[in-house]
Amino acid sequence: MAGTSVSHLREAAGVFHGSSPATAVKSRRRLRETPAALILIAPVIVLFAISVAYPLAETIRLSFWDIQGLRKPAYVGLGNYAKLFADPAFRNTLLTTLIFTIGTTVISVAIGWVLAMMCAFAPRQTLPFRVMIFAAFGISEAVSGYMWIGIYRADAGGLLNSLIQLLGFPGFAHAWLGDANTALWALIIAASWSGVGLPLMLIFAAIQAIPKSVLEAAYMDGARPVSTMRHIMMPLSMPGVRVAVFINLLGALRAFDIIYILTGGGPVRSTETVGYFMYRESMTQFKLGYGAAATVILLLAVLIISTPAILQRTAGAR
Amino acid sequence: MTSSIEFMPEIRRRTLLAGVGGAALLAMTGGLARAQETVSGELVVLNWIGGSELEMMREIQKAFLVKYPNVTIREVAITGQGDMRGGIRTALMGGEVVDVLFNTWPAFRKELADAGMLRPIDDQWKSYGWDKVISPAWKELGSLGGAPYGLTYTFGDRSGIWYMKEHLAKAGIAAPPKTWDEFIASFDKLTKAGYTAPVAIPGKYWAHAEWFETLLLRTAGVETATKLATHEIPWTDPAVKTALSKYGQMLQAHCCGATNSMLANDWDGEADQIFQANAKNYLLIGMWMNNRAKNDYKLAEGKDYGFFQFPTLGMGHDDTSSIDAKELLVTANGPNPKAADAFLDFWTSAEAANILAKAGYASPSSNIDASLYGEAQKTATQAVASSKLQFVLGDLLPGDLVDEYRVQLQKFLQDPSDTNADTVLAAIEAKAKESY
Repeated sequence: MAGTSVSHLREAAGVFHGSSPATAVKSRRRLRETPAALILIAPVIVLFAISVAYPLAETIRLSFWDIQGLRKPAYVGLGNYAKLFADPAFRNTLLTTLIFTIGTTVISVAIGWVLAMMCAFAPRQTLPFRVMIFAAFGISEAVSGYMWIGIYRADAGGLLNSLIQLLGFPGFAHAWLGDANTALWALIIAASWSGVGLPLMLIFAAIQAIPKSVLEAAYMDGARPVSTMRHIMMPLSMPGVRVAVFINLLGALRAFDIIYILTGGGPVRSTETVGYFMYRESMTQFKLGYGAAATVILLLAVLIISTPAILQRTAGAR
Repeated sequence: MTSSIEFMPEIRRRTLLAGVGGAALLAMTGGLARAQETVSGELVVLNWIGGSELEMMREIQKAFLVKYPNVTIREVAITGQGDMRGGIRTALMGGEVVDVLFNTWPAFRKELADAGMLRPIDDQWKSYGWDKVISPAWKELGSLGGAPYGLTYTFGDRSGIWYMKEHLAKAGIAAPPKTWDEFIASFDKLTKAGYTAPVAIPGKYWAHAEWFETLLLRTAGVETATKLATHEIPWTDPAVKTALSKYGQMLQAHCCGATNSMLANDWDGEADQIFQANAKNYLLIGMWMNNRAKNDYKLAEGKDYGFFQFPTLGMGHDDTSSIDAKELLVTANGPNPKAADAFLDFWTSAEAANILAKAGYASPSSNIDASLYGEAQKTATQAVASSKLQFVLGDLLPGDLVDEYRVQLQKFLQDPSDTNADTVLAAIEAKAKESY
């Protein structure tokens, strides 16, 4: 017992003081390698500092200032944050952001998941189909925004309204983007359309990673495709689904282009998300400090969502 | 008989005068040529204007370069939609150093001048003799604290209504309505002729406020509108409500179709509904519509489409009009002030003014050949000349107030009732209290 304790103590001491010969060698090697490692990662650190850390610090700094137009800035401390939460327009954007984020994520991931499972039954034959759907993900949101304007147009030239009339339901033709009750959902559908490609590819890859033996065993046991999907593919594709949900959530939280093109945050601010609010305050009204405070709130939301996911993904990494 | 001796002084005088005149002419032309030669280098112009208006501007810039061959122009282009001031501020604060910038917002001119970014142009006004070609009213419009900063190069009547001639003919309307009652009555005739929404209301961003702004002028006058712009009277003032009620009267007379359709479109989309789709009839919008109708829709001014001044309301203020103007500003830190000044001067020349007129724009320069104006532009220019004028209200309001004002007017479009008018005006007033 005593010997073991001493050994444990030595080991412990070795860990902290590097007195164990093996650990000491490792530490010396690490020390020798440190400058080289630092040199190798220096470009990344410099890039990170310029493109992420500095703008982030600057945004946080700006959020404590009242900057209106080209006037001289005034320090207001947490004043912008207090004003932000008292602003009914901002409170409205929080709810809109929540609906938009959950709506686009659920629709994109659900459709992507179903399509991925269907494609998994005939991977080769569905390749062109997958490429086409993924291509929508690569299209600029501004371009897809203009495409959806053509679809939602209020007049007879709008594709959706034309289709509705062609099917014999002229009474259902509608100004989809001009109605506060339909504009947000029209926007969610448009954003989900381009968002399906990524979940499809991620979940499809997760399904492809399922060992063939598992699927073959199910087949041998007489499992029907629906049962295979439900009991094997769905649970085993969850890692892909989790990544897809995570990426889509972040994308939806930061959405701007498609809102700018399709609705401009209207009608009567019904489609104004935090991202768009931030743009309106910072760029249209040039209240940079106020807009920066909204950005910090958005950043916190992104951190709250992404931290658990990142921790989970990196838990096993050394 | 007249002796040669008596003639001599006369001959000498004439010779002398001719000699001096010739020398002066030579000096002037030579001097002008030299002046043009001394203007050289790169001129940086910050521009946010697009579409066919940009083509007109490029044509003027091209003519300027012919006159000043030693100058090159570099354009800093700001693109976007809606209010472009944000993009301009970003460019300037981001370090873009420009010589000249185009502006249409008096409040923005003040903001730039207060920040020390502008150079006053009173010396240039004297040396180039702009007083001879630009009326004092335009000089006053571009001035701050008595010092001129902006040189107005075009202006527009914002109280005029565009229409397609064949639409009115089809509805049996012989001439555009002159009174408010005639205007309201025309909706019924146009609806019966197959046009479900006679008035195009572009409610997506800002253009739905145009109706309110002219109605405010016509019901309450220029002084009240000015007081409202500076918040000397509240938005809940009865005079403001009267204007909004007139707007409500128009909406309740089934002028404009479904509210959702109004809120789905900006002015260009609504213009398409009139000039391309032949689905709507009247559009209250600025004079840039003239250029779009000619160049984008390929319509003939005066033949295919027309323009009439806002109908009279008989409330004592029918001699008022809302106007806009675009001006050139020179920056305090521009590297080429000589070229910038010459550029400004060029916009007052007959050459530039006539390019503007041919493109469907009005010029305040007396150098313009007014015969180049088409029917619509003649109507507009005449209306501006004979009206008490007020600059577009939206461009005079502080940034966050104008945003709230437009959103609240969207809410009024959704419910033009008397009760909602009070709610809407109270909401604008609440924002106004924070903004001034």
